[in-house]
Amino acid sequence: MQKIINVIVNGEFYEVSVKSNMTLLDFLRDKLGLTGTKGGCETGACGACTVLLEGKPVNSCLVFAVEAHGKDILTVEGLAENGQLHPLQEAFVSEGAVQCGYCTPGMLLSAKALLDGNPNPTETEVKEAIAGNLCRCTGYVKIVKAILVAAEKMRRRN
Amino acid sequence: MLRKIKGFTYLKPFTVSEAISLLDEYNGKAKILAGGTDLLIQMKQRTQNPEYVIDIKNIPELGNITYDENEGLSIGPLATYTALASSPVVREKFGLLADAAFAVGSPQIQNRGTVAGNLCNASPSADTAPALIALNAQLKLVSMKGERIVSVEEFFVGPFKTILKDTEILAEILIPNVPLHSGGSYLWLPKIITAVDETLVGVGALITVDDMKNKICTEARIGLGSVAPTPIRAKKAGESLKGKRIENGLFEQAGVIASTEALPRSRAEYRSEMIKVFVKRALNRALERIR
Repeated sequence: MQKIINVIVNGEFYEVSVKSNMTLLDFLRDKLGLTGTKGGCETGACGACTVLLEGKPVNSCLVFAVEAHGKDILTVEGLAENGQLHPLQEAFVSEGAVQCGYCTPGMLLSAKALLDGNPNPTETEVKEAIAGNLCRCTGYVKIVKAILVAAEKMRRRN
Repeated sequence: MLRKIKGFTYLKPFTVSEAISLLDEYNGKAKILAGGTDLLIQMKQRTQNPEYVIDIKNIPELGNITYDENEGLSIGPLATYTALASSPVVREKFGLLADAAFAVGSPQIQNRGTVAGNLCNASPSADTAPALIALNAQLKLVSMKGERIVSVEEFFVGPFKTILKDTEILAEILIPNVPLHSGGSYLWLPKIITAVDETLVGVGALITVDDMKNKICTEARIGLGSVAPTPIRAKKAGESLKGKRIENGLFEQAGVIASTEALPRSRAEYRSEMIKVFVKRALNRALERIR
């Protein structure tokens, strides 16, 4: 069954016909070519596929594309603005928080959702916010540090 | 093993009566979709292959969490774990339920998954069930034939099995007000050796005393998760506290009784020991929270 859906992805409007059994993850990657969002466990355990749906982190592998009709989605491709990396991305680079990189898009989006609602998180709050994102390289220490560094930078800027 | 999800017809009703009429029409061939955090996995595993998927997220009133001083708390089937864990009234008056919602999955799952879905999936380890059992929650099941109200412990019949008929929808979770001088808690022991977040033992406890000086227990309800084919009420353990002054050793004894009411299968010995520990801790925490 085909359905036409309207979505806003990274600020751009799309009207696309999708099959009802297509996940939001496959829609973003295969229909829109936004391959920054990664597929991992496909069961909502690893968080590699995390995107922001209406500003909240969700596992895009557990959402049907048809459910996203009329909704606003942010993927890792939408973080940078005017060719300038998002402060979180800058901090991930400067703090060495990227190893193989597979978890990075999901980590960034979980972190963005945290900082949007809580610009001055504690280390514990950062850890709770990324509890649904597994890093297979186990490089959590630098990821947590990078998020705290980005938070501080963003607070100073505002 | 995971496979591509089979094709289905996606239906989007705008009212409850439309939803139950679709369920009735496609009797047994349709599944209700709320958060989807269990359903999509089962469809990938091909353990569920519905021909029709009825997405109820366009029925706005089903997301409500409302509180009434006389009626208590009403939770709609679209209320997410995040909505519950962050609801001021839930945190203030039914804190153990907020704790249990926070115990489920990850932030991503909590943002999407629903408490009603947690019950309908009927995993023996569903975290919200022991808390809802302790709170004496009632479930309103609605179909074309009418509605019935059942207690949450009656709802489960086996692992991943409930009394919900194919033509019925879990339309509302109702929680009565807790009496004065009551406190509640939900404590859980996670399996820490797997990446998949699952509870090994979950305990929901609600305790009421006559007054804070005397501390004579007038009511106690204990719900257990992950230690039997379904979430269960440890009735004898709760009853053992009634009428007794709360003093050293009482909660410990309740834990021992609770462990005799459980029927753990895998890692039975460990789980039985942990029931004793967690029932005692949960009751202590509940006592600390009495106001």
